[in-house]
Amino acid sequence: MKLVSYMSQWRGIAKEAMDRTAIAVKFLCCLHITDTYFCSPTHVYGPSMLPTLNMVGDIVLVEHVSQRLGKVRHGDLVVIRSPLDPKRCLTKRIMGMEGDTVTYFDPMLGDATRVAVVPKGHVWIQGDNIFASHDSRHFGPVPYGLIQGKVFFRVWPLDCLGVPGQ
Amino acid sequence: MVVVVVVVFLFRRGLGSSKPVTAMGFRNLGLLGSFAKEGLEKAFSLGKFFCFLHVTDTYLVTFVVTSGPSMLPTIDLIPTMFFGERISTRFGKVTCGDIVIIRSPQNPRKLLAKRLVGMEDDTVTYISNPDEPDKQETIVVPKGHVWIQGDNAYKSNDSRNFGAVPYGLIQHRLFWRVWPIKGFGPFWKH
Repeated sequence: MKLVSYMSQWRGIAKEAMDRTAIAVKFLCCLHITDTYFCSPTHVYGPSMLPTLNMVGDIVLVEHVSQRLGKVRHGDLVVIRSPLDPKRCLTKRIMGMEGDTVTYFDPMLGDATRVAVVPKGHVWIQGDNIFASHDSRHFGPVPYGLIQGKVFFRVWPLDCLGVPGQ
Repeated sequence: MVVVVVVVFLFRRGLGSSKPVTAMGFRNLGLLGSFAKEGLEKAFSLGKFFCFLHVTDTYLVTFVVTSGPSMLPTIDLIPTMFFGERISTRFGKVTCGDIVIIRSPQNPRKLLAKRLVGMEDDTVTYISNPDEPDKQETIVVPKGHVWIQGDNAYKSNDSRNFGAVPYGLIQHRLFWRVWPIKGFGPFWKH
């Protein structure tokens, strides 16, 4: 007798738990879709994009629509998966699309400027701070498929709110 | 008193007769509103279902259809359907000999199905031209990259042509063949 009442109590609790979990799961799914296909925030840090982005860390909004439509262009700030470490993402500027001839200068290797042609399906990325940036000048052009998204707005720190410069 | 009651009664009857006209208007609006509400609810539940499906696709398992001659005799020429999983690719557990779906470094909208022949820091010896089997070339796969090759050396556009490919371009690992039915079953490395 008591067992039956216990079971009905537990059923009620279990049902409520399932409902709450279902709502949480649906919310997370929607959040994931928005993150992957529309817009997501990212924390970027490091000296390689000075003076455009701060060294200690900025929070920027990244949109994932342009790279799917092929609308990423020369001069765009992009978040790209590192070709050397697939778990890391870099934030750099695109300095050459496929077919472009890129002239670059690496202060570590002397004063000579070098020239490279970007092959099909690849992009050339460079950090704005050429003295402290590990980019295509070191590991070569990067396949377009590694681009995760385009940076279009900075939300933190608050006094730098807006579109990152240049 | 009776007159008052009668007047009130008639008044109410009078109001009652004019009600249907406005009520019909309101009812139509109400019907439209309920249609819209139902449509919106159905759209929401469809949207929620697609979200769930997409999350499963991205993080767990998805269907993959391959076609083309570059993986003969392992995979047939005709369109073949597989299950592809993303758990091992995310945790870096893909190894030599796995067949993976990888985004083409030459055309970011194309996906290729190839076999992983070398991981990072491996030394890969390959024959760049199968018509001349004696000319072998050796290369060390750089950090963060993989070396992919199709099983059909004559008809495959792979790392022998475009070099090592960054690991980040790997999308899925194929582990189960679904269609054609006679090939249904596990698809481990063999």
